Amino acid sequence: MKYIIIGASAAGLACAEQIRKEDKNGEITVITKEKYLPYSRPSISYFLKGAVKESGIYLRKSSYYEASGIDIVTGTQVRSIDRKAKTVKAGRKTYSYDKLCLCTGSKPFIPPMENVSGKINALTFLDLESAGIIKKTADKKTRAVVIGGGLIGMKAAEGLSKICRSVDVVELSPRILPSILDEKSAKSVKKYIEEKGHIKFHLGQTVTRAGSEGNRITSVTLKDGKELPCDLLILAVGVRPETELAEKAGLEVNRGIVTDPGTMQTSDENIYAAGDCAVSVDMLDGSRRVIALWPNAVNQGIAAGSQMSGGDIRITSSYPVNAIDFYGLRICTCGLINVQDKKYTDKIIRSGSSYKRLIFEGSRLVGYVLINSSANAGIYTSLIETKTDLKTLEGDLSGTPDPFIFGKAERNKRMKGALDL
Amino acid sequence: MKRIYAIEELCLNCRLCEVYCKSAHSQSKDIIKANKYEEPAPVSRVTVYGDNFLSAALNCRHCDDPKCVKACITGAMTKDKKTGIVYVNEDKCIGCMTCLAVCPYGCIKEGKKAVKCDLCRNDDEPACVKNCPNHALIYAEPGGEEK
Ligand SMILES: Cc1cc2nc3c(=O)[nH]c(=O)nc-3n(C[C@H](O)[C@H](O)[C@H](O)COP(=O)(O)OP(=O)(O)OC[C@H]3O[C@@H](n4cnc5c(N)ncnc54)[C@H](O)[C@@H]3O)c2cc1C
Ligand code: SF4
Ligand code: SF4
Repeated sequence: MKYIIIGASAAGLACAEQIRKEDKNGEITVITKEKYLPYSRPSISYFLKGAVKESGIYLRKSSYYEASGIDIVTGTQVRSIDRKAKTVKAGRKTYSYDKLCLCTGSKPFIPPMENVSGKINALTFLDLESAGIIKKTADKKTRAVVIGGGLIGMKAAEGLSKICRSVDVVELSPRILPSILDEKSAKSVKKYIEEKGHIKFHLGQTVTRAGSEGNRITSVTLKDGKELPCDLLILAVGVRPETELAEKAGLEVNRGIVTDPGTMQTSDENIYAAGDCAVSVDMLDGSRRVIALWPNAVNQGIAAGSQMSGGDIRITSSYPVNAIDFYGLRICTCGLINVQDKKYTDKIIRSGSSYKRLIFEGSRLVGYVLINSSANAGIYTSLIETKTDLKTLEGDLSGTPDPFIFGKAERNKRMKGALDL
Repeated sequence: MKRIYAIEELCLNCRLCEVYCKSAHSQSKDIIKANKYEEPAPVSRVTVYGDNFLSAALNCRHCDDPKCVKACITGAMTKDKKTGIVYVNEDKCIGCMTCLAVCPYGCIKEGKKAVKCDLCRNDDEPACVKNCPNHALIYAEPGGEEK
């Protein structure tokens, strides 16, 4: 069997490794347009601020791939897929496949702004290459402006604040981290970040145009007319699924690549898709959307790899789960957190700098937002994933969850791994 | 592989396991220094939950198909192929705590990096098991003899 995987990141590597587990002899080729071996994308902001070295950013040792019989072709963009001939074209080469997996991830979404495109100091913050360029060029004199106050923009801002003179964040929404925080919690997080990171926020704002000298941006103008000096502009408004190859090949695409939610098979039986480029079905509300997070990409890669090599691992539960920290402030979120429907209720527990919001649907937990109160969060996550009826629990959920919230039978299973000792 | 199993019927809630875990994972390896003076203070990887009426010491299960490893966003969390021990590579870990957010048992502790049980990798028997005065923690192969 010949397996081709396009994209060598969370989903692509997980897919390749799963294939190798189930098919010892198949030929596995992973093609990536990036010039690096698989690395941790989320680590790039830590690399920028110097918390991890470049050597610590790679997911596996370089000798691992040869030893595992996984061929990683770097610096090579796949241009097209020929579904009839079962080949992909990359550079001057044509690779044939029996099974193909698209793990092409995300591409940046850049809103229209005057005089920004093509400027050398306007960069996205999605890969190690851009992080490397920023690290080389930014210093104590740099005044950075980040467009986008979501997870990626805020991580970029945090990294930059350690090396730059000033960091301004421009966000369209009236609050920061709009996808994971509600209004109240966003306010306190914002205050904390302003104090710790000396970051200035411009909320409810957009950048309309940039001022420049030659091919460098020197300032940006906000919607309200305010002008900010700018030596480095980071474009981090958002990402979209990278579906160009799939679309050109005539696969079904609806925002992301459409797959069977269990097997990750696309509308072509020999082609699979996994990760940020694919549509997930959220188990909690049945919604079809892209869940652009690392653990989801890995799970989908594993399922796709298994199915491609004749195994039977399926996706049984997809939901977002994310943990992130800003200057030591921990934010942990899972499940449905921005739901309006009346069928959901929530409970907020505050004490000191910690904030905990649990979201329920009837007697089930369906989501949480934990700020500085992440202890044992995984127990909540497992209650969400297993759709546990909270009425069957013996303890209360508002404190730190522990094994004693479960009745004896379940507790024993958890403590002894269901062993009879 | 050998794992640690907690027997709630025998646990005294004395928390000695936590004390010995801290010193085993401290710089000084000295029980007094580790528990009182060391900076940064070592974190116990085992936690006793419950009260004087009913308690048990919870440790990482070193799962066969560990959720923490699959979810780790940097490749820092790995399961050793030979020993089965699930451990953190501190050069890679960024301390995001995604692993903590998915461990269904609550076995990862917060720190600058993820903190978890490594079964005292270089010793024959984990410190918590060795020092439990009432044998409420046993280190055994599933189905095997108690050690
Ligand atoms: C700064 C930052 C911080 C983040 N922090 C977190 C976090 O804390 N937690 C979390 O869960 N997630 C985080 N994410 C999101 C996470 O990185 C993604 O969800 C994850 O990388 C998705 O993996 P993937 O394999 O689907 O795709 P990607 O990682 O996007 O990889 C896709 C790869 O495919 C390649 N490719 C695309 N098209 C082609 C082609 N035609 N030919 C060859 N190669 C191609 C791309 O170059 C890329 O290397 C973060 C992302 C960023 C940018
Ligand atoms: S930390 Fe949790 S998920 Fe990871 S191996 Fe231990 S018990 Fe399993
Ligand atoms: S805290 Fe460390 S080990 Fe845990 S998921 Fe993050 S990088 Fe991986």
